[in-house]
Amino acid sequence: MNLNVEIKRYNPEEDEEPHWESYEVPADPLDSALSLLLHVKWHEDGTLSFRKSCAHGICGSDAMQINGENKLACSVLVQDIADGEGDTVTFAPLPSAPVIKDLVIDQSRFFEKYRDVKPWLITDGPAPEREREQSPEEHAMIEEASKCIMCGACTHACPSTWADPDYLGPAAMLKAYRYTFDTRDDGAEERLDVVDSPDGLWKCYTIFNCNEACPKDIDITRWLSALKRRAATSQASTNA
Amino acid sequence: MAVDTQDRPTATASESSTTARQESRFQRYRVRTGMFAWLMHRLTGVGLVVYLIIHIWGLTSLTDPETFNALIAKYHSPIFKVGEFALLVAVAYHAMNGLRIVLIDFLGWSPKQKRLFVTLGAVTAIIILVGGWPSIYSLGEWIFGPGSMPSLFL
Repeated sequence: MNLNVEIKRYNPEEDEEPHWESYEVPADPLDSALSLLLHVKWHEDGTLSFRKSCAHGICGSDAMQINGENKLACSVLVQDIADGEGDTVTFAPLPSAPVIKDLVIDQSRFFEKYRDVKPWLITDGPAPEREREQSPEEHAMIEEASKCIMCGACTHACPSTWADPDYLGPAAMLKAYRYTFDTRDDGAEERLDVVDSPDGLWKCYTIFNCNEACPKDIDITRWLSALKRRAATSQASTNA
Repeated sequence: MAVDTQDRPTATASESSTTARQESRFQRYRVRTGMFAWLMHRLTGVGLVVYLIIHIWGLTSLTDPETFNALIAKYHSPIFKVGEFALLVAVAYHAMNGLRIVLIDFLGWSPKQKRLFVTLGAVTAIIILVGGWPSIYSLGEWIFGPGSMPSLFL
């Protein structure tokens, strides 16, 4: 079948404002959405820019807004975004992110937020001789949160991020959860100081756009709620 | 413990000028259950604040019995029956969705958020129908004439 593919184009050297362009693209229902973009780039217009690396949902490069919601282009099939012949599929860069060109966004702010929550193991005392042990039950608490591939679909789907570009956002705070609830980690206090702030946890209004956007189906809101409870109770205990 | 928070560059003027529209706080985005619930929560919340200001302003006339009676007489007009009903809708929705958020945040019911929305939505509808019946009744009487409405519980 043939699809009408609409892409939000923006070239900072030529355009004042982003604009939409349409392409007719032949597609199979079992193609990925990414293959539509590849077809445009290879056969229609080589100047189209977008990020992709592994194309198998692991690297997290090709998160973008497809048909009005954030998805990973390689992990969504044509049959899930188009009903049939002549249907329109739209591609736009992640909402509210600074655009470098076409679908390529400037990720620096996103990764600064990631660094802010100290996404590494913080420990007191010397390293043990052998590995730091963790039971399967202890690991189960952070297993889902560990699946994050940092694609940015969630953070840029969040109305709190749109309203406040400095809001830490779901991706960074999910990482804070992942380490705060890791039984081998001793840095909870430091990390809670970062997320328990005006630009942190309390701007999460349980809107669930992050959950809907996550290509790994992580229940982000659930873990952020757990982090909220931890932040609230630890604050109560220090104030007492 | 000392906190070493890295300074994060805030949204700079050059960034926002190149793609101003892209970075707006208003984005076109597919509305699913969670965002719909939040949007309605905001709208009813703002509406209730506006109502509260008008309501308290109305109370300032309490110092003078005559102006107070005149004000209360105005409240019997049909437009205030509509307002009364809208107020109930806003309060019922805001309260029930507030309960939903409490259950999600305090009890970790995030995986059940959509079922919660449907269930509490049904409860909200019942509250609105039962509680709003007097308003609907008097509005019906006003539109279709006296005696045209079934006097269910009234």
